[in-house]
Amino acid sequence: MSFQIPIGPQHPALKEPIGVRVTVDGEIIREADLRLGYNHRGVEKLAEQKTWTQNIYLMERICGICSHSHATCYVQGVEKLMEIEPPKRGLYIRILVSELERVHSHLLWLGVAGHEAGFDSFFMYVWRDREIVMDILETISGNRVHYAINAIGGVRRDLDELQIKHILDSLELLRQRSAYYQKLGTTEPSFVARLAGVGYLSREDAIELCAVGPTLRASGVPMDVRKDDPYAVYDEVPFEVCTADSCDVLGRTVVRIKELLQSYNIIEFLLKNLPAGPIAVRAPRRAKPNEVVSRYEAPRGENIHYIKSNGSDKPERLKVRAPTLANYAATIKMLKNGFIADVPLIFAAIDPCICCAERSVAIVDARTAQERIVTMSSLRELSLKTAKYQTRKREAEWPL
Amino acid sequence: MATLKTLVYLILYPGLLFIFFYSTFAEWYDRKLYARLQNRMGPTHTGRAGVLQPIADFIKLMSKEDIVPERADRGMFRALPAFGLAIVSTGMLLLPVWNYSLSNPSATSFSGDIVVLLYILSLPTFIFFLAGWSSTNLFSTVGATRVLTMLFGYEVPLFLTVLTPAVLANSWRLAEIAAFYRHHPWLALLNIPAFIIALICVQAKLERTPFDIPHAETEIVGGTFTEYSGKKLALFRLMMDVELVVAAGLLATVFLGGFPGGLLPGLINFIIKTLLVIFLLSLLRATTSRIRVDQVISLSWRYLAPLAVIQLLVIIFIKGLIS
Amino acid sequence: MKLGVFIPELLRHLFKKPATVDYPFQKLTVPPDFRGSPYLRPELCIACRACERDCPAEAIEITVTNEAEKKFNMVIHNDRCIHCAQCVDSCPTDAMQMDNLFEISDYDRHNMKKRWDFVRAVVKPKAETKS
Repeated sequence: MSFQIPIGPQHPALKEPIGVRVTVDGEIIREADLRLGYNHRGVEKLAEQKTWTQNIYLMERICGICSHSHATCYVQGVEKLMEIEPPKRGLYIRILVSELERVHSHLLWLGVAGHEAGFDSFFMYVWRDREIVMDILETISGNRVHYAINAIGGVRRDLDELQIKHILDSLELLRQRSAYYQKLGTTEPSFVARLAGVGYLSREDAIELCAVGPTLRASGVPMDVRKDDPYAVYDEVPFEVCTADSCDVLGRTVVRIKELLQSYNIIEFLLKNLPAGPIAVRAPRRAKPNEVVSRYEAPRGENIHYIKSNGSDKPERLKVRAPTLANYAATIKMLKNGFIADVPLIFAAIDPCICCAERSVAIVDARTAQERIVTMSSLRELSLKTAKYQTRKREAEWPL
Repeated sequence: MATLKTLVYLILYPGLLFIFFYSTFAEWYDRKLYARLQNRMGPTHTGRAGVLQPIADFIKLMSKEDIVPERADRGMFRALPAFGLAIVSTGMLLLPVWNYSLSNPSATSFSGDIVVLLYILSLPTFIFFLAGWSSTNLFSTVGATRVLTMLFGYEVPLFLTVLTPAVLANSWRLAEIAAFYRHHPWLALLNIPAFIIALICVQAKLERTPFDIPHAETEIVGGTFTEYSGKKLALFRLMMDVELVVAAGLLATVFLGGFPGGLLPGLINFIIKTLLVIFLLSLLRATTSRIRVDQVISLSWRYLAPLAVIQLLVIIFIKGLIS
Repeated sequence: MKLGVFIPELLRHLFKKPATVDYPFQKLTVPPDFRGSPYLRPELCIACRACERDCPAEAIEITVTNEAEKKFNMVIHNDRCIHCAQCVDSCPTDAMQMDNLFEISDYDRHNMKKRWDFVRAVVKPKAETKS
């Protein structure tokens, strides 16, 4: 008896809306189908209306967890377009916040994996320790999420001695707790029984379906943008790329915990070797006409931004390829021949950030369910036609 | 006089009012303990330290809108919560709290009432299945099939381990079994493996982690309870609380020596022993994560059932040695 | 495969204080550099409109009330503000500052707007500014 179960758009297993339709036969999944677009906000179009500086804050708000990765990827690209080099101290502080964000994102993921598996005590403990990292980020940047520490040409805030000491002290506590969670997560029998053997993705499939991030590294492929194409100061910082060989959800857990421990080492190195000097250089208002591709290793995988400028103070085109978008094809492969009970875990194992990955692919008519693919230029014409009878924000009637 | 006593049994203690207040107290105890084990606060503001929180939840649910899905089987959908609550409350009457006298059996304490109590505890599983089935919702159907699949796993070890002390005590009457173990406390120690297996099986019967598969929130939304809301959901949740107290009372009677002493010492004994059993159940709930339904079957038939059979054989052997 | 690895840790926490705070009866303090809401110090403002230009959310509105007497009116729409502090960075005379209040919600968005009427100051702007 096979029938279709819709997981989402609204479902307690998902933090964000996405439509996964699985065809099940008893408890085994035969087919899976993915539908995006429930959270589409038109970020790429909006970015064309705002200046280079204003876009930093827009890029941050693509995602809450990996906000700094989008902002940094964008700022790196714009600095290349404007041909300015940020000073060393600025780069060190930027990468310090990147690694702290990686720590907080992996701790968040660990808790969410525990919650999806039903292991609520683990979830509570891990998130309690994540508060230490959130407090550090609040002290450095002024906010717990959306740190806004980047400026074009460097960073906006500096670190003083007291903050550095506070971070180094907290690192000791975090190291100890992470080692405990590593032991607990890999030896608790009921938890391991849920994770082991689930969501198998072989090495060849991972490379062929273009998986990125810990999903790829858990299948034994050591690809990491920080080592393959070092940006900022990663060519000076010593660290290792973490892989696992089990190709399943347990392997992805192990990879993320190992990356946590590596990040603690990187943070300690950065703080101990922080160079003196200015934290930013002055950036011009306009950029010369050019196009640039900027890559960054977000906690979820490889983040790519493509920016094109035409000589004015606003970008001509901005395209964001978030890492979760690359992992969707691998997810469909992993869902087949699994159990229904494994769907939340498989989905959570790629660390989905669905808001990052909202790019429209096809236009679906809501009334007739007809799909059509349109070119960018006709989409543009359609949006300009619609914009003509909608006034700009200042003159608009606020709806309340 | 007899009718007055019967009315007191039915309504006051151990009747409906006592069931209502004690099972909400047991739910508060479980939630507070679970929260403290996880280093957070638990219910805090309603009443002193949040004691009235489950009653507040019950009242809130009773006042919400009650929606019956269009294609659901109306009669069964509406009647099931009330049936369930009635069944488990009857189970409470069979526990030997105050309503028994050891010498003459009565309507609430008779030879064979351990079997009746186990039967009464099996019925809620079918009520959950019918609740999920009559909702005609995809998630409820999956939840209902999971409920029955789990039943095939834990029912046999549960029956074996609960009847093992009865075999040693040479009686099928709960009050006599409890009295036997009060007089021979060393023999109660022989039942410890059965106690551990019974704890795990009772956790599966009550559908708490690691066995809360039928209403797994992150997988199938609400499972069997997806379509229930308002008064029906309030009654179902009350039914689950009363089932917790009845199962804890059963384990306390058979393994921990029952509740002697009449009205007041019996009440104190009841509270202490059931809270001890609920403490162990909550600890088990906080320690583990949810497992898959096929893993429940393989766990129970590979480990629990053989261990229960071995325990039964050991007890029979020892009984032969004693007499 | 060890059973009950977690139990000693769990039981230890029965006797510790909870990690959660009983908000709103107890509140946590925010660090001194916390980005709350922007406010203006009118005696330093030279009405260069750099903050208005750089605000990503169009939350600052500067209008001229009297051209001859150099009187201006600034409205900060705190309901549109995204609390990024770009205005503080853009201001050449340090007239825009951030406070550290975070409980600013209201039932009516029009109560969240702040206004200042001021005369343009004669202050020398700083030589260094960030873009």
